[in-house]
Amino acid sequence: MTTATFEPVLTKIVDLPDSHTLSVYKKHDGYEALKIALGKTPDEIIDIVKRSGLRGRGGAGFPAGTKWGFVPKSTDKPKYLCVNADESEPGAFKDRLICRKDPHQLLEGTLIAAYAIGASRAYIYIRGEFAEECEILDRAIEEARHAGLIGKNIMGSKFSCEVTMYLGAGAYICGEETGLIQSIEGKRGWPRLKPPFPALVGLFNCPTVVNNVETLACVPHIVKRGWEWFAAIGPERNTGPKLFGLSGHVARPGVYEAPMGTPLRVLIDEFGGGVPGGRPVKAVIPGGASCPVLRGDEIDVPMDFDSLTRAGSLFGTGTPVVMDDTVCMVRAAWITARFFAHESCGQCTPCREGTGWLQRILWKIETGEGTERDLGILLSITDNIEGNTICALGDAAAWPARGFAKKFQDEFLRHIREKRCPLDGGSLH
Amino acid sequence: MATVKLKVDGREVEVEKGTNLVDAGKMAGIFMPHFCYHPGLPVVGVCRICLCEIEGRPKLVAGCATPAEEGMNVITKSKAVRDARAAVMEFLLIHHPLDCPMCDKGGECTLQDYTIAMGAAHTRFSFKKNTWPEEDVGGKLILNKNRCILCMRCVNLCADVAGQDEIAVIARGEETYIGTVGGRKIENELAGNIADICPVGALTSVDFRFESRPWELHNVKTICTLCSKGCNTVAGFHPRRNKVLRVTARENMDVNQWWICDRGRGQFHSVHDVVRIATPLYRSRTKGAAARPVAWADAIAQVAGAIKDSIARQGADSVGVVSSAELSNEELFLAGRIFGPDGLGLSNFDFPERPQPPVVYPKFTIEGDKNPNTRGARLLGGTAGKRGRSVKEILTAAAEGRIGVLLFLRGGAPETFGDAALVARALDRAGLVVVMDFVASAVADLADWVLPGVSHFEKDGTYVNSQGRVQRARKVFTLRGDTREDWRLLQDLGSALGVLHETDPSAEMIFARIARTVPAFTGLSYSALGDRGAPLDTEAANVAVG
Repeated sequence: MTTATFEPVLTKIVDLPDSHTLSVYKKHDGYEALKIALGKTPDEIIDIVKRSGLRGRGGAGFPAGTKWGFVPKSTDKPKYLCVNADESEPGAFKDRLICRKDPHQLLEGTLIAAYAIGASRAYIYIRGEFAEECEILDRAIEEARHAGLIGKNIMGSKFSCEVTMYLGAGAYICGEETGLIQSIEGKRGWPRLKPPFPALVGLFNCPTVVNNVETLACVPHIVKRGWEWFAAIGPERNTGPKLFGLSGHVARPGVYEAPMGTPLRVLIDEFGGGVPGGRPVKAVIPGGASCPVLRGDEIDVPMDFDSLTRAGSLFGTGTPVVMDDTVCMVRAAWITARFFAHESCGQCTPCREGTGWLQRILWKIETGEGTERDLGILLSITDNIEGNTICALGDAAAWPARGFAKKFQDEFLRHIREKRCPLDGGSLH
Repeated sequence: MATVKLKVDGREVEVEKGTNLVDAGKMAGIFMPHFCYHPGLPVVGVCRICLCEIEGRPKLVAGCATPAEEGMNVITKSKAVRDARAAVMEFLLIHHPLDCPMCDKGGECTLQDYTIAMGAAHTRFSFKKNTWPEEDVGGKLILNKNRCILCMRCVNLCADVAGQDEIAVIARGEETYIGTVGGRKIENELAGNIADICPVGALTSVDFRFESRPWELHNVKTICTLCSKGCNTVAGFHPRRNKVLRVTARENMDVNQWWICDRGRGQFHSVHDVVRIATPLYRSRTKGAAARPVAWADAIAQVAGAIKDSIARQGADSVGVVSSAELSNEELFLAGRIFGPDGLGLSNFDFPERPQPPVVYPKFTIEGDKNPNTRGARLLGGTAGKRGRSVKEILTAAAEGRIGVLLFLRGGAPETFGDAALVARALDRAGLVVVMDFVASAVADLADWVLPGVSHFEKDGTYVNSQGRVQRARKVFTLRGDTREDWRLLQDLGSALGVLHETDPSAEMIFARIARTVPAFTGLSYSALGDRGAPLDTEAANVAVG
């Protein structure tokens, strides 16, 4: 399927008036998939999702059906579904669109997933800053409950499920699945040691699945249209439609739905309308702040998990940040490092101490005080953080710092040799 | 019990299933560094210094948080592991102050030790270090956040062992700190353990602050005698100052695990910071004269003479002995020989019980029986038991003027022995009052004779705790003065009374005599007791106590 013939499904109704209401959602076959799902067994649903090839849209790209399959079938404990609506990755704003404009799509996916794993309660953990989206979702839950879509014996079936909103307090780390679980339990949002994995010991020590908003939004369409439809979109092992959140120096920033594997250049030029003023693309962070930066000459890459890994970066949440030639790469790296230093939970030594150190060195270089030795120390700190922490935040901080320093080594060295920022700080502040 | 076999650096070891790699390494003789891991606390896996390699796995793992598995090949000597650990050391040290010379922890600091073993000589960190002011967090501990490496042992000890959320981890990133919340203080009675287990000088003891460098202390393995639990401790004795300067916990999984309470931690103050009796004293109550020192030979002869005289003139019931379960087995055994059926055959021979409500924490209980050796006293004849009269009956007899000589084997406040008014009357009406003790007290101050014994820090001895475990207290030091270890004093008195025909030159030999003659102690010796003690022959012990 090419971009030209691609028919958007996730964003089909988002531009309609009152798209967040049950009546508009139902008018467009809303909750039909739930009806179909309730007519199948949970194992059949898991199988369909497995076959569709749906990979988690939260960044790690773990196959959703496989994750569901890890939940033990025979257990006395209740099972939980946690919806990760803590979208906090700088550059990512795609889940927010769904929460805001099509909350029932998320609820339908949530209910199908809960049915598949045998959960009778789902928590939607939503980012603290999304207070308005939280209200919209709250109203949608109420509407669905009144319509018999949430609660006891949904659609007259034996399946009962409650959905509860949980508003976070705005910490990035609570988007990490075990940090999220801790937060719902009322504890510090500190990622847990794994194993045990949440599928066995999760929320309140019970089997738990944590899924991203967009992942769950894909589920009703897979159930309704069949796994073959989903699997036919995009490259092998990287299937389905995808929401791309385009930001930075593009004429038309926003959320665009396109097949997985759409080339980054197509996203920037065709969807985003290119760089304003016809300036050159200097760099692109392809999937949110934690992904290593690509140079302007590296953007002929298909936007999917495996292609970006091969390109030495990461697909992440699929939300490219475009930077033109007015942007200072040292400052961009510093801003990224500052974010991760601020958001490190402080638990593991390498991340707690390393992120703060990275930020200091980057600022030292940006302000013309840096030395070549500092650049070497910077790279060695990223090596010393990577892989040595409980969760991936350490990696998420190390990768972009290393990426900027290696991909734009000349610009870093110019800062050092000229003892100033050659772009006078550039257009970022 | 299910076990698994694995290799650590090529050394094969078989461990119980569920054992983590730090412990498995220890059993294999491979030391894995660790800051946050403590066998008595929940595993948090945050310091990352125990990172190690498992053959076939792509990433390094935290040894403390990884259970040993069958066939696992754990590698700690690879470059990857060395580099990762060196990196963690560097990260921990970037903000750490260079104040080891004035830090109480210097010399017994894990961070210092590891820095010497695997740290870099120079820092690569060229920025200003984060600094914090020092803080008193409840009177017992000083918090110095500059030195803190955020291992969370303190937080977990309070939460898990003491069940108190008095301290917490606050803020995040490099601004993360350990602190009290909402003006709270660390007030639980296990708080002192924090200073023991803090791997750096972040939480140090107020009591020990600037008192001594740790390496100046002569550390003696002993036990606490403040209750019937018998916690294993280390007394840190400063030879030049001739003082115990601190008491710390000593691991004994059968008794106190890794912890002691703060009362036991401060017990040495009741030895040093009190008015000690340094020589035998005589004071004639009837003449109201001031106490005057007397030579030991005279004191023993006169007290023994008074006892013999009283028995000769008014019979055995005219002598009352208020024994003490604060004394060691050796002393109680001697007391039994002297005053019991094989000696003077007194019926007025019993010790006061000292019950208090126990303090129960989730993982540690401070026992309610404040006598450290109640079971020893009962087993060794340190009381006439059911055949004799109770302390209350003895004191009543004294108050009624029926006691010629009233001997206390330990002094104390009147309430220690019962109703204060009854004790006062008894002291007033008894013909002659003799108190054996090392410290001035209300009862000792009213005695005709005071025979200065010593504290448990100043003599060898054994005690039977509430579980029936026999444990050694070791002699830590000798104070200047003309005092006598209580077992010597009792032997002297017994010989003068003519009831003790053989004496021993050491507490150890008295214990050997106990092991030969008291069935519950059969087979025990000082060397068999070792550092951690041994249980009584419970069957024999139960028969003996009935």
